[in-house]
Amino acid sequence: MRDRETIGEGLARRGLSRRALLRYSAWLASLMALPPTASRVMAETLADKPRQPVIWLSFQECTGCTESLTRSFSPTLEDLIFDLISLDYHETLMAASGAPAEAAMEASREANKGKYVLVVDGSVATGLEGAYSTNAGKTNLATLAELAADAAAVLGVGTCAAFGGLPMADPNPTGAKSVGDIVKDKPVVNIPGCPPIPEAIAGTIAYFVTFGRLPDLDHLNRPMAFFGDSIHDRCYRRTFYDQGKFAKSFDDEGARKGWCLYELGCKGPVTWNACATLKWNAATSFPIQSGHGCLGCSEPGFWDRGGFYQPLSAAVMGNPALIGGAAVAAGAAFGAASAVQARKKRAAAQAAAKQAEEGRQG
Amino acid sequence: MSEPVMPEAVMPEAVVISLLAELSRLLERLVRTEETAAIDLRSLPITPDDRAALTTALGRGEVRVTVESGGRSELVETGYPGIWWVRHLGAGDRVLTERIEIAPVPEALAAAPADIAAAADRLAAHLAALAERESSNA
Repeated sequence: MRDRETIGEGLARRGLSRRALLRYSAWLASLMALPPTASRVMAETLADKPRQPVIWLSFQECTGCTESLTRSFSPTLEDLIFDLISLDYHETLMAASGAPAEAAMEASREANKGKYVLVVDGSVATGLEGAYSTNAGKTNLATLAELAADAAAVLGVGTCAAFGGLPMADPNPTGAKSVGDIVKDKPVVNIPGCPPIPEAIAGTIAYFVTFGRLPDLDHLNRPMAFFGDSIHDRCYRRTFYDQGKFAKSFDDEGARKGWCLYELGCKGPVTWNACATLKWNAATSFPIQSGHGCLGCSEPGFWDRGGFYQPLSAAVMGNPALIGGAAVAAGAAFGAASAVQARKKRAAAQAAAKQAEEGRQG
Repeated sequence: MSEPVMPEAVMPEAVVISLLAELSRLLERLVRTEETAAIDLRSLPITPDDRAALTTALGRGEVRVTVESGGRSELVETGYPGIWWVRHLGAGDRVLTERIEIAPVPEALAAAPADIAAAADRLAAHLAALAERESSNA
Protein backbone atom coordinates (compact mmCIF):
# COMPACT_ATOMS: atom_id res chain seq x y z
CA MET A 1 0.00 0.00 0.00
CA ARG A 2 1.34 3.46 -0.84
CA ASP A 3 2.47 5.80 1.91
CA ARG A 4 -0.34 7.99 3.12
CA GLU A 5 0.09 11.66 2.38
CA THR A 6 0.43 13.98 5.37
CA ILE A 7 -2.42 16.14 6.59
CA GLY A 8 -0.52 19.25 5.47
CA GLU A 9 -0.05 17.82 1.95
CA GLY A 10 -3.70 16.86 1.80
CA LEU A 11 -4.74 20.41 2.64
CA ALA A 12 -2.29 21.86 0.11
CA ARG A 13 -3.88 19.65 -2.54
CA ARG A 14 -7.18 21.33 -1.70
CA GLY A 15 -5.53 24.75 -1.96
CA LEU A 16 -5.45 25.33 1.80
CA SER A 17 -2.37 26.55 3.63
CA ARG A 18 -1.15 25.63 7.13
CA ARG A 19 -3.29 28.53 8.36
CA ALA A 20 -6.34 26.28 8.17
CA LEU A 21 -4.64 23.95 10.66
CA LEU A 22 -3.67 26.86 12.92
CA ARG A 23 -7.28 27.97 12.99
CA TYR A 24 -8.39 24.43 13.73
CA SER A 25 -5.86 23.84 16.49
CA ALA A 26 -6.72 27.19 18.09
CA TRP A 27 -10.32 26.01 18.19
CA LEU A 28 -9.33 22.59 19.49
CA ALA A 29 -7.14 24.12 22.22
CA SER A 30 -10.06 26.28 23.29
CA LEU A 31 -12.53 23.35 23.24
CA MET A 32 -10.25 21.05 25.22
CA ALA A 33 -9.09 23.75 27.68
CA LEU A 34 -5.45 23.48 26.55
CA PRO A 35 -3.03 26.42 26.81
CA PRO A 36 -3.85 28.78 23.91
CA THR A 37 -0.19 28.96 22.88
CA ALA A 38 -0.26 25.18 22.27
CA SER A 39 -2.04 25.80 18.97
CA ARG A 40 1.13 26.48 16.96
CA VAL A 41 2.86 23.26 18.01
CA MET A 42 -0.38 21.35 17.49
CA ALA A 43 -0.75 22.71 13.97
CA GLU A 44 2.88 21.85 13.11
CA THR A 45 2.46 18.34 14.53
CA LEU A 46 -0.74 17.74 12.60
CA ALA A 47 0.72 19.04 9.32
CA ASP A 48 3.45 16.37 9.31
CA LYS A 49 1.26 13.45 10.35
CA PRO A 50 -0.51 11.07 8.00
CA ARG A 51 -4.27 11.11 8.26
CA GLN A 52 -5.51 8.94 11.11
CA PRO A 53 -7.14 5.76 9.83
CA VAL A 54 -10.61 5.34 11.30
CA ILE A 55 -12.92 2.34 11.01
CA TRP A 56 -16.48 3.18 11.99
CA LEU A 57 -18.88 0.37 12.88
CA SER A 58 -22.63 0.90 13.16
CA PHE A 59 -24.43 -1.61 15.35
CA GLN A 60 -27.86 -1.26 17.05
CA GLU A 61 -28.22 2.45 16.28
CA CYS A 62 -30.36 5.03 14.49
CA THR A 63 -27.58 6.87 12.56
CA GLY A 64 -28.26 10.01 14.62
CA CYS A 65 -24.65 10.03 15.83
CA THR A 66 -23.35 10.12 12.24
CA GLU A 67 -25.88 12.85 11.42
CA SER A 68 -24.61 14.86 14.38
CA LEU A 69 -21.02 14.74 13.13
CA THR A 70 -21.73 15.37 9.45
CA ARG A 71 -24.60 17.90 9.51
CA SER A 72 -22.79 21.19 9.40
CA PHE A 73 -22.56 23.66 6.59
CA SER A 74 -19.71 22.93 4.23
CA PRO A 75 -16.92 23.90 3.93
CA THR A 76 -16.24 25.15 7.42
CA LEU A 77 -13.70 24.96 10.18
CA GLU A 78 -15.83 22.34 11.92
CA ASP A 79 -15.55 20.06 8.86
CA LEU A 80 -11.77 20.02 8.97
CA ILE A 81 -11.90 16.84 11.08
CA PHE A 82 -12.43 15.00 7.78
CA ASP A 83 -9.02 16.25 6.60
CA LEU A 84 -7.44 14.85 9.76
CA ILE A 85 -8.82 11.36 9.44
CA SER A 86 -9.06 8.75 6.73
CA LEU A 87 -12.50 7.25 7.17
CA ASP A 88 -11.69 3.84 5.74
CA TYR A 89 -15.01 2.18 6.55
CA HIS A 90 -18.41 3.64 7.36
CA GLU A 91 -21.45 1.82 5.99
CA THR A 92 -23.65 4.90 5.73
CA LEU A 93 -21.09 7.25 4.21
CA MET A 94 -18.94 5.03 1.99
CA ALA A 95 -19.66 4.73 -1.72
CA ALA A 96 -18.73 1.06 -1.84
CA SER A 97 -21.10 -1.66 -0.72
CA GLY A 98 -21.14 -5.42 -0.37
CA ALA A 99 -17.92 -7.38 -0.84
CA PRO A 100 -15.79 -4.37 -1.97
CA ALA A 101 -16.77 -2.49 1.22
CA GLU A 102 -15.78 -5.41 3.41
CA ALA A 103 -12.54 -5.73 1.43
CA ALA A 104 -11.78 -2.03 2.14
CA MET A 105 -12.19 -2.66 5.86
CA GLU A 106 -9.95 -5.71 5.73
CA ALA A 107 -7.30 -3.76 3.77
CA SER A 108 -7.30 -0.94 6.30
CA ARG A 109 -7.12 -3.38 9.21
CA GLU A 110 -4.13 -5.16 7.67
CA ALA A 111 -2.31 -1.97 6.70
CA ASN A 112 -2.94 -0.16 9.99
CA LYS A 113 -2.69 -2.95 12.54
CA GLY A 114 -2.48 -1.49 16.04
CA LYS A 115 -2.81 2.05 14.67
CA TYR A 116 -6.41 2.61 13.63
CA VAL A 117 -9.11 4.16 15.77
CA LEU A 118 -12.23 2.02 16.00
CA VAL A 119 -15.40 4.08 16.34
CA VAL A 120 -18.58 2.27 17.28
CA ASP A 121 -22.06 3.74 17.34
CA GLY A 122 -24.91 1.58 18.57
CA SER A 123 -25.07 -1.04 21.27
CA VAL A 124 -23.93 -4.64 20.87
CA ALA A 125 -26.59 -7.37 20.80
CA THR A 126 -25.40 -10.37 22.82
CA GLY A 127 -28.62 -12.44 23.00
CA LEU A 128 -28.68 -15.64 20.88
CA GLU A 129 -24.90 -15.26 20.56
CA GLY A 130 -25.36 -11.91 18.87
CA ALA A 131 -27.78 -13.05 16.19
CA TYR A 132 -30.15 -10.10 16.77
CA SER A 133 -27.85 -7.73 14.88
CA THR A 134 -25.64 -8.73 11.98
CA ASN A 135 -23.77 -7.00 9.14
CA ALA A 136 -22.21 -8.74 6.16
CA GLY A 137 -23.28 -12.11 7.57
CA LYS A 138 -21.38 -11.63 10.83
CA THR A 139 -22.74 -10.75 14.25
CA ASN A 140 -21.84 -7.31 15.61
CA LEU A 141 -20.45 -9.14 18.62
CA ALA A 142 -17.93 -11.06 16.48
CA THR A 143 -17.04 -8.03 14.33
CA LEU A 144 -16.35 -5.91 17.41
CA ALA A 145 -14.11 -8.53 19.02
CA GLU A 146 -12.19 -8.98 15.77
CA LEU A 147 -11.63 -5.29 15.00
CA ALA A 148 -11.02 -4.16 18.57
CA ALA A 149 -8.14 -6.63 18.79
CA ASP A 150 -6.06 -4.61 16.27
CA ALA A 151 -7.23 -1.09 17.20
CA ALA A 152 -5.13 1.57 18.93
CA ALA A 153 -8.19 2.84 20.76
CA VAL A 154 -11.93 2.30 20.72
CA LEU A 155 -14.44 5.14 20.82
CA GLY A 156 -18.00 4.41 21.90
CA VAL A 157 -19.90 7.23 20.19
CA GLY A 158 -23.43 7.90 21.43
CA THR A 159 -25.23 6.65 24.52
CA CYS A 160 -26.04 3.26 22.92
CA ALA A 161 -22.37 2.41 22.34
CA ALA A 162 -21.25 4.06 25.59
CA PHE A 163 -23.89 2.72 27.99
CA GLY A 164 -26.30 0.49 26.03
CA GLY A 165 -28.82 3.28 25.38
CA LEU A 166 -32.31 2.62 24.07
CA PRO A 167 -31.68 -0.97 22.86
CA MET A 168 -30.71 -1.86 26.44
CA ALA A 169 -33.86 -0.27 27.89
CA ASP A 170 -36.04 -2.62 29.91
CA PRO A 171 -36.76 -5.43 28.99
CA ASN A 172 -33.68 -5.39 26.73
CA PRO A 173 -34.92 -8.06 24.29
CA THR A 174 -31.64 -8.36 22.36
CA GLY A 175 -29.34 -8.56 25.38
CA ALA A 176 -27.82 -5.23 24.33
CA LYS A 177 -24.54 -4.21 25.99
CA SER A 178 -22.21 -1.27 25.79
CA VAL A 179 -18.91 -1.45 23.87
CA GLY A 180 -17.02 -1.19 27.15
CA ASP A 181 -18.83 -4.28 28.43
CA ILE A 182 -17.40 -6.29 25.53
CA VAL A 183 -13.98 -4.74 24.89
CA LYS A 184 -11.85 -5.25 27.99
CA ASP A 185 -8.28 -5.22 26.70
CA LYS A 186 -8.27 -1.82 24.93
CA PRO A 187 -8.86 1.71 26.13
CA VAL A 188 -12.51 2.56 25.46
CA VAL A 189 -13.51 6.22 25.42
CA ASN A 190 -17.20 7.01 25.82
CA ILE A 191 -18.73 10.00 24.07
CA PRO A 192 -22.35 9.64 25.12
CA GLY A 193 -25.34 11.74 24.12
CA CYS A 194 -28.41 11.07 22.03
CA PRO A 195 -26.82 12.18 19.80
CA PRO A 196 -23.43 13.31 21.16
CA ILE A 197 -22.32 16.90 20.62
CA PRO A 198 -20.37 16.96 17.31
CA GLU A 199 -17.52 18.97 18.88
CA ALA A 200 -17.09 16.22 21.49
CA ILE A 201 -16.73 13.53 18.78
CA ALA A 202 -14.46 15.59 16.54
CA GLY A 203 -12.47 17.10 19.44
CA THR A 204 -11.68 13.70 20.98
CA ILE A 205 -10.57 12.22 17.66
CA ALA A 206 -8.52 15.33 16.79
CA TYR A 207 -6.86 15.21 20.22
CA PHE A 208 -5.82 11.60 19.61
CA VAL A 209 -4.45 12.44 16.15
CA THR A 210 -2.48 15.40 17.52
CA PHE A 211 -1.04 13.96 20.71
CA GLY A 212 -1.12 10.23 19.98
CA ARG A 213 -2.94 9.59 23.25
CA LEU A 214 -6.40 9.91 24.72
CA PRO A 215 -7.58 12.97 26.62
CA ASP A 216 -8.26 12.90 30.38
CA LEU A 217 -11.35 10.84 31.17
CA ASP A 218 -13.84 10.77 34.04
CA HIS A 219 -15.00 7.66 35.96
CA LEU A 220 -17.33 6.70 33.07
CA ASN A 221 -14.46 7.12 30.54
CA ARG A 222 -15.89 10.36 29.16
CA PRO A 223 -13.46 13.13 28.13
CA MET A 224 -13.34 15.63 31.02
CA ALA A 225 -13.09 18.57 28.61
CA PHE A 226 -16.67 17.95 27.45
CA PHE A 227 -18.21 16.05 30.35
CA GLY A 228 -16.56 17.74 33.33
CA ASP A 229 -19.45 20.08 34.17
CA SER A 230 -23.11 19.33 34.74
CA ILE A 231 -25.74 20.94 32.53
CA HIS A 232 -27.08 22.55 35.71
CA ASP A 233 -23.77 24.17 36.67
CA ARG A 234 -23.43 25.87 33.29
CA CYS A 235 -27.14 26.57 32.68
CA TYR A 236 -28.09 30.17 31.98
CA ARG A 237 -31.29 29.58 34.03
CA ARG A 238 -29.20 28.66 37.09
CA THR A 239 -29.80 32.07 38.74
CA PHE A 240 -33.56 31.34 38.82
CA TYR A 241 -32.86 28.01 40.52
CA ASP A 242 -30.72 29.78 43.09
CA GLN A 243 -33.52 32.30 43.66
CA GLY A 244 -36.12 29.50 44.00
CA LYS A 245 -38.02 30.62 40.88
CA PHE A 246 -39.47 27.54 39.18
CA ALA A 247 -41.88 26.99 36.30
CA LYS A 248 -44.72 24.83 37.66
CA SER A 249 -46.18 23.78 34.32
CA PHE A 250 -45.30 24.28 30.66
CA ASP A 251 -46.56 27.65 29.47
CA ASP A 252 -47.35 29.02 32.95
CA GLU A 253 -46.08 32.47 33.89
CA GLY A 254 -42.79 31.13 35.23
CA ALA A 255 -42.15 29.12 32.05
CA ARG A 256 -42.79 32.23 29.96
CA LYS A 257 -40.36 34.20 32.09
CA GLY A 258 -37.71 31.54 31.49
CA TRP A 259 -37.53 30.29 35.08
CA CYS A 260 -35.84 27.05 36.13
CA LEU A 261 -37.41 23.80 34.79
CA TYR A 262 -36.34 21.65 37.76
CA GLU A 263 -39.92 20.96 38.90
CA LEU A 264 -40.89 19.97 35.35
CA GLY A 265 -38.38 17.13 35.45
CA CYS A 266 -35.16 18.73 34.18
CA LYS A 267 -32.27 16.27 34.67
CA GLY A 268 -29.62 19.00 34.32
CA PRO A 269 -28.28 18.58 37.88
CA VAL A 270 -27.34 14.92 37.32
CA THR A 271 -26.27 15.15 33.68
CA TRP A 272 -22.69 15.81 32.67
CA ASN A 273 -22.40 17.21 29.16
CA ALA A 274 -21.51 20.44 27.33
CA CYS A 275 -24.94 21.29 25.83
CA ALA A 276 -25.30 24.42 27.99
CA THR A 277 -22.05 25.91 26.65
CA LEU A 278 -21.51 24.50 23.14
CA LYS A 279 -25.23 24.17 22.32
CA TRP A 280 -26.67 22.62 19.13
CA ASN A 281 -27.21 23.42 15.45
CA ALA A 282 -24.33 25.87 15.06
CA ALA A 283 -24.76 27.06 18.68
CA THR A 284 -28.38 28.07 18.10
CA SER A 285 -29.98 26.58 21.21
CA PHE A 286 -30.20 23.58 23.54
CA PRO A 287 -33.24 21.87 25.10
CA ILE A 288 -33.49 24.10 28.19
CA GLN A 289 -33.14 27.25 26.08
CA SER A 290 -36.01 25.92 23.95
CA GLY A 291 -38.18 25.57 27.06
CA HIS A 292 -37.84 21.86 27.80
CA GLY A 293 -35.98 20.22 30.64
CA CYS A 294 -32.84 18.15 30.07
CA LEU A 295 -33.63 14.43 29.55
CA GLY A 296 -30.23 13.32 30.80
CA CYS A 297 -29.52 11.53 27.51
CA SER A 298 -25.76 11.28 28.07
CA GLU A 299 -26.09 9.38 31.36
CA PRO A 300 -26.21 5.58 31.77
CA GLY A 301 -29.71 4.08 31.74
CA PHE A 302 -31.41 7.43 31.15
CA TRP A 303 -34.39 5.75 29.48
CA ASP A 304 -35.31 3.67 32.54
CA ARG A 305 -34.65 6.25 35.22
CA GLY A 306 -38.13 7.39 36.14
CA GLY A 307 -40.32 9.81 34.19
CA PHE A 308 -38.87 12.60 32.05
CA TYR A 309 -41.40 15.00 33.57
CA GLN A 310 -41.01 13.99 37.19
CA PRO A 311 -38.79 16.25 39.26
CA LEU A 312 -35.49 14.67 40.29
CA SER A 313 -36.48 14.52 43.95
CA ALA A 314 -39.36 12.22 42.95
CA ALA A 315 -37.68 10.32 40.11
CA VAL A 316 -35.42 7.28 40.35
CA MET A 317 -32.35 8.52 38.50
CA GLY A 318 -29.21 7.17 40.14
CA ASN A 319 -29.67 8.22 43.75
CA PRO A 320 -31.87 11.19 42.99
CA ALA A 321 -33.73 11.84 46.22
CA LEU A 322 -30.35 12.51 47.78
CA ILE A 323 -28.88 14.52 44.89
CA GLY A 324 -32.05 16.51 44.26
CA GLY A 325 -32.66 17.13 47.94
CA ALA A 326 -29.09 18.25 48.58
CA ALA A 327 -29.18 20.51 45.55
CA VAL A 328 -32.43 22.16 46.62
CA ALA A 329 -31.22 22.64 50.18
CA ALA A 330 -27.94 24.15 49.00
CA GLY A 331 -29.72 26.43 46.57
CA ALA A 332 -32.10 27.67 49.25
CA ALA A 333 -29.49 28.05 51.97
CA PHE A 334 -26.83 29.87 50.02
CA GLY A 335 -28.85 31.82 47.52
CA ALA A 336 -26.46 32.55 44.67
CA ALA A 337 -24.31 29.46 45.16
CA SER A 338 -20.60 30.12 45.17
CA ALA A 339 -18.26 28.35 42.78
CA VAL A 340 -16.90 26.35 45.71
CA GLN A 341 -20.37 25.09 46.54
CA ALA A 342 -20.97 24.19 42.92
CA ARG A 343 -17.75 22.20 42.84
CA LYS A 344 -18.60 20.36 46.07
CA LYS A 345 -22.04 19.50 44.80
CA ARG A 346 -20.57 18.29 41.56
CA ALA A 347 -18.11 16.03 43.38
CA ALA A 348 -20.88 14.68 45.63
CA ALA A 349 -23.21 14.05 42.72
CA GLN A 350 -20.45 12.37 40.70
CA ALA A 351 -19.60 10.16 43.66
CA ALA A 352 -23.28 9.26 44.04
CA ALA A 353 -23.56 8.50 40.32
CA LYS A 354 -20.46 6.33 40.54
CA GLN A 355 -21.88 4.46 43.53
CA ALA A 356 -25.15 3.90 41.69
CA GLU A 357 -23.19 2.66 38.67
CA GLU A 358 -21.17 0.22 40.78
CA GLY A 359 -24.39 -0.90 42.47
CA ARG A 360 -25.88 -1.74 39.09
CA GLN A 361 -22.84 -3.65 37.94
CA GLY A 362 -22.46 -5.51 41.28
CA MET B 1 -11.50 52.06 6.41
CA SER B 2 -12.25 53.88 9.65
CA GLU B 3 -9.66 55.76 11.65
CA PRO B 4 -7.87 54.06 14.54
CA VAL B 5 -9.64 54.54 17.86
CA MET B 6 -7.46 55.52 20.81
CA PRO B 7 -7.79 53.39 23.94
CA GLU B 8 -10.25 54.89 26.38
CA ALA B 9 -9.50 55.82 29.96
CA VAL B 10 -12.83 55.01 31.65
CA MET B 11 -13.08 52.75 34.72
CA PRO B 12 -14.08 49.24 33.57
CA GLU B 13 -15.18 46.16 35.58
CA ALA B 14 -12.72 44.30 37.83
CA VAL B 15 -12.39 41.36 35.42
CA VAL B 16 -11.49 43.74 32.61
CA ILE B 17 -8.89 45.46 34.79
CA SER B 18 -7.29 42.12 35.70
CA LEU B 19 -7.21 41.18 32.00
CA LEU B 20 -5.57 44.50 31.17
CA ALA B 21 -3.01 43.87 33.92
CA GLU B 22 -2.20 40.47 32.44
CA LEU B 23 -1.94 41.95 28.94
CA SER B 24 0.37 44.65 30.30
CA ARG B 25 2.64 42.00 31.84
CA LEU B 26 2.64 39.88 28.65
CA LEU B 27 3.31 42.88 26.42
CA GLU B 28 6.21 43.93 28.59
CA ARG B 29 7.55 40.36 28.37
CA LEU B 30 7.22 40.45 24.57
CA VAL B 31 9.36 43.61 24.55
CA ARG B 32 11.98 42.04 26.81
CA THR B 33 12.18 38.43 25.55
CA GLU B 34 10.23 38.34 22.26
CA GLU B 35 8.10 35.60 23.83
CA THR B 36 4.60 35.56 22.37
CA ALA B 37 1.45 34.68 24.31
CA ALA B 38 -2.29 34.29 23.92
CA ILE B 39 -5.38 34.54 26.11
CA ASP B 40 -8.41 32.41 25.26
CA LEU B 41 -11.44 34.62 25.92
CA ARG B 42 -13.84 31.71 25.54
CA SER B 43 -12.38 30.02 28.61
CA LEU B 44 -13.00 33.07 30.80
CA PRO B 45 -16.27 33.85 32.58
CA ILE B 46 -16.78 37.23 30.93
CA THR B 47 -20.14 38.72 30.00
CA PRO B 48 -20.93 40.46 26.70
CA ASP B 49 -20.67 43.76 28.65
CA ASP B 50 -17.18 42.84 29.90
CA ARG B 51 -16.18 41.97 26.35
CA ALA B 52 -17.47 45.31 25.10
CA ALA B 53 -15.64 47.11 27.91
CA LEU B 54 -12.42 45.28 27.00
CA THR B 55 -12.84 46.22 23.34
CA THR B 56 -13.29 49.85 24.33
CA ALA B 57 -10.35 49.75 26.72
CA LEU B 58 -8.02 48.30 24.09
CA GLY B 59 -9.12 50.58 21.26
CA ARG B 60 -8.36 49.85 17.61
CA GLY B 61 -5.11 50.10 15.71
CA GLU B 62 -4.13 50.40 12.08
CA VAL B 63 -4.58 46.82 10.89
CA ARG B 64 -7.69 44.79 10.22
CA VAL B 65 -7.15 41.54 8.31
CA THR B 66 -9.49 38.87 7.01
CA VAL B 67 -7.98 35.43 6.46
CA GLU B 68 -9.84 32.94 4.27
CA SER B 69 -8.48 29.46 4.88
CA GLY B 70 -11.16 26.81 5.13
CA GLY B 71 -13.39 29.49 6.65
CA ARG B 72 -12.91 33.05 7.79
CA SER B 73 -10.76 34.62 10.51
CA GLU B 74 -10.68 38.26 11.61
CA LEU B 75 -7.43 39.64 12.98
CA VAL B 76 -7.67 43.14 14.40
CA GLU B 77 -4.84 45.19 15.86
CA THR B 78 -5.81 46.95 19.06
CA GLY B 79 -4.74 50.45 20.01
CA TYR B 80 -1.68 48.83 21.61
CA PRO B 81 0.64 47.52 18.88
CA GLY B 82 1.58 43.93 19.73
CA ILE B 83 -1.89 43.15 21.08
CA TRP B 84 -4.28 41.58 18.57
CA TRP B 85 -7.89 40.58 18.82
CA VAL B 86 -8.34 37.31 16.91
CA ARG B 87 -11.61 35.63 15.94
CA HIS B 88 -11.88 32.34 14.05
CA LEU B 89 -15.34 31.92 12.55
CA GLY B 90 -17.15 28.70 11.69
CA ALA B 91 -20.41 27.78 9.98
CA GLY B 92 -22.84 30.69 9.65
CA ASP B 93 -20.06 33.08 10.74
CA ARG B 94 -20.42 32.10 14.37
CA VAL B 95 -17.37 32.78 16.52
CA LEU B 96 -15.63 29.49 17.33
CA THR B 97 -12.50 30.90 18.89
CA GLU B 98 -11.91 34.33 20.33
CA ARG B 99 -8.47 35.09 21.64
CA ILE B 100 -6.14 37.95 22.30
CA GLU B 101 -2.66 37.34 20.94
CA ILE B 102 0.39 39.17 22.19
CA ALA B 103 2.81 39.03 19.26
CA PRO B 104 4.28 41.20 16.48
CA VAL B 105 1.78 39.50 14.09
CA PRO B 106 -0.99 37.00 14.90
CA GLU B 107 0.05 33.39 14.30
CA ALA B 108 -2.59 32.82 11.61
CA LEU B 109 -1.23 35.71 9.50
CA ALA B 110 2.38 34.76 8.75
CA ALA B 111 2.91 32.20 5.98
CA ALA B 112 4.22 28.91 7.39
CA PRO B 113 7.77 27.84 6.36
CA ALA B 114 6.41 24.61 4.82
CA ASP B 115 3.92 26.59 2.72
CA ILE B 116 6.68 28.98 1.60
CA ALA B 117 8.95 26.06 0.65
CA ALA B 118 6.13 24.43 -1.33
CA ALA B 119 5.40 27.78 -3.00
CA ALA B 120 9.06 28.19 -4.02
CA ASP B 121 8.97 24.76 -5.69
CA ARG B 122 5.68 25.53 -7.35
CA LEU B 123 6.81 28.89 -8.73
CA ALA B 124 10.11 27.44 -10.01
CA ALA B 125 8.20 24.61 -11.73
CA HIS B 126 5.84 27.13 -13.28
CA LEU B 127 8.78 29.18 -14.62
CA ALA B 128 10.44 26.05 -16.02
CA ALA B 129 7.20 25.10 -17.77
CA LEU B 130 6.99 28.59 -19.29
CA ALA B 131 10.60 28.42 -20.48
CA GLU B 132 9.96 25.01 -22.03
CA ARG B 133 6.90 26.30 -23.86
CA GLU B 134 8.88 29.27 -25.16
CA SER B 135 11.73 27.09 -26.45
CA SER B 136 9.31 24.70 -28.18
CA ASN B 137 7.62 27.71 -29.84
CA ALA B 138 10.94 29.13 -31.00
